[in-house]
Parts: sequence; structure tokens; C-alpha cells
Amino acid sequence: MQKILLSSMLLATITYASMDTIPTEKRTFEQSKFMPDISLIMDGSFVNRNIDDDEVVHLELPGIAHGLIGSHEHGGATHSSYNANNGFNLNYAELVLSSSVDPSFTMDSVFHFSPDGVEIEELYFTSTALANGMRIKGGKFNSNFGYLNEQHHHSWSFGDMPLVYEAFLGMHGINETGLQVQWTAPTSTYLMLGAEILQGENEQMFGNSSMGGDEENPLVESETAPSLLIAYAKTSFDIDDTTVLAGISYAQGSSRIDHGDDEESPHLFAGDSSVYGVDLTIKHYFDSYSSLTWQSEYLKRDMDGIQYNLNSEGAVLGQPDLTKEQSGIYSQLVYTHDKNYQMGLRYDSIFQNDVKANNSVVEKPNNLNRYSAMLEYHTSEFARFRLQYNHNKALYNEEGEQESINTLMLQVNISIGAHAAHSF
Amino acid sequence: MRFLLLLLPLTLFAHINIAVSYPYIGALSKAIGGEHINTVVLAKGNWDPHFVVPRPSLIAKVRNADALIMNGGQLEIGWLPPLLRRASNPKTQVGSKNFLNLSHHIEMIHKPLAVDRAGGDIHPDGNPHFHLNPNNILVLAQTIKEFLISIDSEHQEVYENNYKNFSTIWSEKLQTWETKMRDKKGLKVIQFHNNLAYFNKVYGLTNIATIEPLPGIPPSSRHTMNLIKIIKNEKPCCILHDVYHSTKTADFISRKTGIKVILMPHDIGALESIEDLSSLFDYLTSAIK
Repeated sequence: MQKILLSSMLLATITYASMDTIPTEKRTFEQSKFMPDISLIMDGSFVNRNIDDDEVVHLELPGIAHGLIGSHEHGGATHSSYNANNGFNLNYAELVLSSSVDPSFTMDSVFHFSPDGVEIEELYFTSTALANGMRIKGGKFNSNFGYLNEQHHHSWSFGDMPLVYEAFLGMHGINETGLQVQWTAPTSTYLMLGAEILQGENEQMFGNSSMGGDEENPLVESETAPSLLIAYAKTSFDIDDTTVLAGISYAQGSSRIDHGDDEESPHLFAGDSSVYGVDLTIKHYFDSYSSLTWQSEYLKRDMDGIQYNLNSEGAVLGQPDLTKEQSGIYSQLVYTHDKNYQMGLRYDSIFQNDVKANNSVVEKPNNLNRYSAMLEYHTSEFARFRLQYNHNKALYNEEGEQESINTLMLQVNISIGAHAAHSF
Repeated sequence: MRFLLLLLPLTLFAHINIAVSYPYIGALSKAIGGEHINTVVLAKGNWDPHFVVPRPSLIAKVRNADALIMNGGQLEIGWLPPLLRRASNPKTQVGSKNFLNLSHHIEMIHKPLAVDRAGGDIHPDGNPHFHLNPNNILVLAQTIKEFLISIDSEHQEVYENNYKNFSTIWSEKLQTWETKMRDKKGLKVIQFHNNLAYFNKVYGLTNIATIEPLPGIPPSSRHTMNLIKIIKNEKPCCILHDVYHSTKTADFISRKTGIKVILMPHDIGALESIEDLSSLFDYLTSAIK
């Protein structure tokens, strides 16, 4: 090593001897060698949907979530889902910076630039020097709950989130500020246990701030933060050229949902919620480039609290005890033919939707389904073009009628800069 | 019962557990380390060394390792970093004294003057397939010997002796291979990807073209047609083909031009008959008839 260094330094000296410039290696305070790994990812799409944009934002999963598709105003800011509009969508530019900090830590950051603004999607440090399989992560990050949650949008096999994830946890999943501890067992079979303590501010499920009333006398008191706890266990083994990865996850936290500014039937919800997750991924490799992956997750959520139905002035009209038990799955099969082509099918379903107000059943539809198919072409590891078709039978309009939404989408995902190594 | 055995902590065994990226590194380490080390090979020998799936079972292997030896030269860039991060093992972190990057001890060839992905998926540090020059195996053996001594000085003598024995036997074999390849000097060859660059260089073979138009970019019909013209003009002896890419394009070219397609293993396990380092080079030096 030293020999090579010496000889290359010697060579550099000889090469540069005839030049007037000082070689970069010799500039006293030059720091460019410490530049973190940088990459920039672009994601955009062309969408053709059989329902126009103004209509689609008013559709809902009854008793579960509003406005899954489209752009809407909320508290003065615009929120758009991915691929929100008919025609062209510039979903985001993602800037990723990462580097070692010192012998004890690395730091990673992901900045999300979208037409709605800039967001720190992830910013965290990770320990590298703890022994015995321990790892600590702190900052803002995607929780390791379930299988899909930790992955970024551009590593998913489809251009949109599985219905059950988006419905229960919103389009960013569990993306929170807090602390994560993971432990990999000293066994030859992979076994990882992890726990996270997070601030607990998820748009669809979790929250802890005060709501309603006025500042001095809120209708709902705030909860002490951090207020979201997560735990999971994952294991994996290989049978020849087939890998099985399975996990169970649990999230528990206080809930605050603020729809107090809604034009129609404004309401608030405050209570406690849990999400249970089971995931199973089976991947078979035919050779270095070709594989078949079956990936499925089951999510169940329990919400228990009080719904405050308000009038337009914010006065309480009624406050029923509300419980929700809802569950669903997604299951997808993706075939990777070679370095160029990938294709897949996905089935989404929310099949349990038990809502009770003051212990009496509120009838809600419980067969909310979506079917998707995709074909992907890669010119290289750094550029993907995906054609996706969705047949969505899960959304209902404001009259309570089920809609049938067909979407054809051409998605483009391009990255430049540092090589992003793939996790399993 | 078998399941219980799987759950036994690996630390019960008193050897040094060394995780290595590729089978050839495992064999070489074993030749020097002998009974004092256990090697755990992460990649499979019959797969493309650039594309190894970072299966979670490999995280467990890295997590339980006392040391890690990799090829380097960015060959592992697409798969090893996430394993190291997930395993979070201080002994296998880059820069740890138990971490060895073999590419730092070899003079690499074909270092590109300009690095741009428009030129395909190139390796900025040069061609990383350096172990296919059998002379380099001796350099690597010495590097691994010094590495083992640095992490386990107690068995210095054993490692020195093993290295001495290995290098004596290997030097004899180098002579044999040299003799076998003498009349092949000057032959022109075609490859899929230039992974035999070091082998070709040491035995005087000239690679005149590759079936992939650019590193990491799959064959295109225009490039293939052009290749057929080159073959008709320059009359190379053969297509030296790796075992992990499909030979579909090579077979097509062969039908059009009559050129031979020869499978060239790149590592132990690439073909069933390649069981160790010597058989790898025995095979490679006999393959071109």
C-alpha cells in the first residue's frame, strides 16, 4: 500500500514538474476529497385518468381516508400525492448526500424538492462502531416498520404506494423524527430486532398536538411527545437460490386527526391507535439478472377515541366514542427478465372496515380493491421507464357511490451521481 | 435439531471468522490461514461479480465476521455497502484494521482518463478483475499473509510457512501455464465484458472488441452487426465468454461468422469442474485450442 502511494506520489511529482500549477494533492487547505457522496434523483410521470382532477380529490375511502389522489389545500399549503394530475407531473427531485462523519458515525440526508416546496425527507446519523450487532440511528428517517416503509418511492416496484399503506399511514408512510435501535442476533440465520421512539406526527393516524377551541382552551389537550413507539422483528433464510424474508411489526401511539377546517362536516378525532404489520417476501433468482419476487404485507389498525363533530364555527355538535378496526393487504408479483425488462402485477385490498360510534355499528363498505399491472424498461441501472395501469374500485364519491377509476401512467425515474447500492 | 444448530452463536468456534466477497479470495485466504481461520464467501462463483443480491442472510454473515477481505476497485460497489451498513460490525467497517481491500495492493490497468457514465458503467479505478492474472495471485497471497499476521500475530509462523508452501507450488504452476500459453501469444480475441483483461495481458492475447457496446450496457443490434464486420476483417480466434451472461448474442455472431465461442470461468464455482484456484487456471490455459 505504502509502496503504491509512494510511487504514485513520485509519478505525480514527475508529471507535474513541468507544469506551473500546484497539483491538487498539495494544495494546503484543499478539501474537495472530503466531498460527501452526492446523487440526484428525478421522478416524473404522464398520467391519463378517466376522472378529472377536480373530481378525483373529493373521492374517499369511506371511514378510512380522504383525498388519496390529487392536490389539495390544507392549512395554507398545497399537498399533492405522487402523479396527482392528468397530464405531466413533476413529482420530485431528490438530493441525497451521505458520508462518514468520523470513526463512530455516518450521516445521510435526503432532501425532497417538489413543486410544493422543499422537505427534509431524511436526515440522520447512524452508529458504525457499536459492537455485538447493535446499531443506533437518530434524526428524521423512514421507520423500518414493515417491508416497504423504509424504502423510498423510487425503489418501489410500482409508481404509487400500496393502498393499505397510503390509506392508514399517508403517502410518506411512517417518516418521523426520533431514535432507532436495532440488534442483529449472533446467529447464522438472520434475525433482527428493532425498536423506535418517534415524535408521532403522522397525517393519517398519529399526532399529539392540541386541537379545536381556542389557544387557551383547546377542545383536545395535547399529549406528551414523543408519542409513537414501534417494535419489529425480521428474519430471513435461503433455500438454494430462493430467499425468504419475513417480519412482524407493531406501532402504538396517540392519535390526532384534524379535519376542523373541512367545508363539509368538519370534525376532530383524538385517541389511541395501533398498527400491526406482517410482511413476507420470497425472491427466487434464475441467474445474476433474472428473478421472480413475491412481496406481500398485511396491515391492521385499531383506533379508539372520541370524534368531535363541529359546526362551521367550531362548536361541538356531538362527541361520539369512535372505534375503528380496519385491515388490508397488498400482494405483488414482479418478474425481472434481465437488466432491461421488469414486469409485475399487484393486488390491493382493504377487507375489514369495522367502525363503531358509541358502540353501534356504522355501516362502511369493506371490499375496497385495486388491481395494478406494470412494465418497466431500464436503459441502465440509472434510468427506469415504467408503464403502469391501475384499475381502482376502492374510492367512493361524496354521494357514497363507488367509483371505478382507470389510470394509465408513464413514469420516468432517472438518477445521476453516486452509485446507489441496493438493499434487499 | 438442525434448526437449533443454526441458532448456535458462531463465536463458539475458536477460529478467526473471515468474510470474503468472492470465492477466489476465500480459497486464497484458506491456503494461507489454514486451520486457524474460517472463511465465509458472500458471492457465488457462477454469478456476475458486479451483481450480487444483498440477501439478508449475508448481513448475518458479515455481522458475525472478525474480518473482511474484499476485491475492491469498485467491483462490490453495487452490493457490499448496504450489507456493511446493516451488519454494523465495527470490525468490518472500511478503515478498520480487520478490513482488507485487495485492490490497494495491485497495480490496476485500464484506469480511465475520463470518467463519465455516457461511457457505460465504468470502474474509475481501473479494471478490477486483476485476479485472473495468475502472477497477481502470488501478490495477493502475500498481501493476505501480511494481513493475517497483522490481525493474528500469534500464528505468524504458520502463516509464513503456509505462504511459502503456497508460493512454491504456485510458482511451478505458473511455469506450466506459461508454457501452455506460449503459442497463443498474439491471438486476437473478443469478449462479452473485458473481464479477462489481466489474463490476456500476461499471455499476450489482444482483446479487439466486446459484445456489450459499453461496460454494463447490454448488446444492441447495431453494435452486433458492427462486430460481425470486425470479426470478418480481423479474424480473431474466438469469443471468450463469461459464464453469467447469456451466450445468445455470441451464438448469433458465431453462426454468422463461424467464430468459436469458448466459456471462460472467472472464479471458483463458475463451472462445476472449477473447484479450486489451480483448476481455474488449468482450465483457462487449456480452453483456447
